[in-house]
Parts: sequence; C-alpha cells; structure tokens
Amino acid sequence: MALPVPLRTSVTPPELELIASEQLVEIIPLIAMERTAFISGPYGPLRPPTKAKVPIWMATNLKLKKKCHIVPPSWLSVDFLQERLALETSKAEFSQLPFRFAEVAKIILDIAPDDVENPDKIRYLLKDIRQARQAKSREGLQMIDHNELSLANLCSMEINEIRPFFVRAMGVLTHITREAAPAEPQFDGF
Amino acid sequence: MEDEYYSVESILAENQKIQCTFKIDIPDMGHLEGGNERDIKANNKIPLPLWMAYILIYSDYADFTIPAPFSAKVRNALNAEAKSVRLSGLVGAGGLWYGFGKIIMKLLADAPANEMSNILTKTFKNRLSELIDQAQHFAALGPAGGGQSGDVAQNFREGLDGTERELFSLAQDSAKRTKQWYESTDRGRR
Repeated sequence: MALPVPLRTSVTPPELELIASEQLVEIIPLIAMERTAFISGPYGPLRPPTKAKVPIWMATNLKLKKKCHIVPPSWLSVDFLQERLALETSKAEFSQLPFRFAEVAKIILDIAPDDVENPDKIRYLLKDIRQARQAKSREGLQMIDHNELSLANLCSMEINEIRPFFVRAMGVLTHITREAAPAEPQFDGF
Repeated sequence: MEDEYYSVESILAENQKIQCTFKIDIPDMGHLEGGNERDIKANNKIPLPLWMAYILIYSDYADFTIPAPFSAKVRNALNAEAKSVRLSGLVGAGGLWYGFGKIIMKLLADAPANEMSNILTKTFKNRLSELIDQAQHFAALGPAGGGQSGDVAQNFREGLDGTERELFSLAQDSAKRTKQWYESTDRGRR
C-alpha cells in the first residue's frame, strides 16, 4: 500500500475533528447574510439578534473573524459534566455522552472560550472524564478475546485511539486460539 | 503470524530449530547432523529447522520433542508470573515466540495442542495490559523521554517478543497522535 504507515491503522484525530465539524451548532450572528447555498446544503439566513444553526466549521470561521458568538451545546456546561464525572467515577460502565463530544468540546473551547461559561473548569472536568474513561477502557482490555469486545458508549475519539492495537491484539489472539472444531487439513502450512 | 505463503513474519517464525528423533534410517543425509556419518540412523536426535521438520513429521519419518521455549520450566514460570518471563530471550532477539508456538501447536495432536493454545492465549492476555500501559506511558513522555522507570519495567520491555513489539509501537503511536491533537490549536487558522 502506498498510504503512509501511521494512516493505515486508523483515522487521524484531525480527520475526526473535520467530520465532527459537519455537526450543527447554534450561533448568534453579528452580521447579516442571506440564505446561501454551500456544498453541504443551504444555511442561513443570518439576522443579527436571532440565533441561527450552522455547521461548526462555519461557526469557527465566523467566530475567528469576530462575526458571531457561538452558543455552546447544553452538555458543554459545568453542571452537566460534573454530573457525568460523578457517574463515570461511581459506575463500572461508560456514561452516555454525545458520540463526538471530545472533538466538539475541543473546537469550541479552543475557538470560542469567551462564549463558554467557566471554560477552565470545563477543561478540567473534560480531562477528568477522559482519564476516568481511559482507565475503564484499560480494564476492558483484560476482557479481550478473539471474537468480540463490547465497550458500550465509547466515543469516537476513544475508539480511534484504541483501534490500532485492539485490532492487532485480537488478530494475534485469533491465530493462537484453537477452535474446538477439528483443525483444517494438516498440510496448510505449505 | 499468518499462514500465508508470502508472509515474511511467518517465514521468520519458522527460523527456529526443533529437536527431531528419526524413526527410520535415511541414507546419504548424514551431513544434516554436522558429523562425518554418511547416513542418518533411526533414533538419531538432530535439531532441524522448522521448515524441514514439518514434512518429516507429517510423513512420519521423525518425531519431535517440545522445544525449549515451551518446556515445562518455561510453562511454570509463565503460570507463576507471565510478565517476568523474557520471551525475547527464549527465541532470540526479534524472534516471534507466539508465531513459533502457533506452528508447534499445529504439529501437535489435539490435547497437547489445546494446552499449548491455552498457554499462548493466557500469556498474551496477561502481558497485554502491562504492554499497553508502558506504551502509553512512553507516548506521554515524548521523544526525549528516558527509560528510567525501574528495572522491572525495563526488563519487561526488553523481554517483548516480535509480535508484542509491534503492538507496543502501534499503541505508542496512536496515543502520541491523540495527545498531539488534544494539545493542538486551530486558532491560527482562518
């Protein structure tokens, strides 16, 4: 394969961020714009005091030009994340979070920290949640076998991080596990 | 680890010798023994490379003994604490302990083959979490990070077999990529 080695095993985090950027987010525009057709569909119209829904890539673009405020999604708040962190540390299973929460949270905290209430606290909470979940996926590693491993509510960034070696490890296990059924004809080594 | 004819890994895993006991006389093949005998006599014990041993064993010209990397002594050590066994020391640097074990497993009859498979899978699973932990630890240290994390950890790293080494670098790269992304910023982009 001509693909560079690091790209063969999984998608890169920036690519996941790009995918997440297609999600819609609410903004308060500071400029007026008519309804405009983009490749991914028509967005707008933007009328300054009224909120509008646009994809994240557009929101970041406008925000960086100081032409809008981003309204953070409801889950990106201290209260919600605190509650999730409590769940995460008290229960054995992964708590439910939006599938691409890591990407969306990172973009918004990165581009528009002034639109979020208490961004530093949220950053700490997200970090704590991430570490708690990492510890869990590490435990999940011990349950690995050659057939399946189910970790419910794992999010896209986390799946992507563990994908390369989970896949490889399961591949190795497939080879060293003997099926109960009689083995294939013995000369398959040649 | 695959069976494929063109798999380099599979060829490398065969680069091991096993002790074979011939059941019949074979004329004019004495040079295999390295001595000056002209013929191989029945009951002669000769270490043969795996790729040659296959056909002799399948054709019932010879028997083989379980090779040293899978001897009772090693099995006991693996049962006691899989993490402290140096697999690389058993099969030589860059050797493929699991690959070798898999080939031996295929040569064995049902019952001992199942036992072999159990040993391989148990060892693999027991060592996996330590392997991933260390890989992620090293990813967090960055390129300049030294290996001063204690003798036990270092011993374990040096004892990784070829398959585990590959997993180690997969896990390390992936953790590094994710960490890089979390620390990157899009603010300069417009």
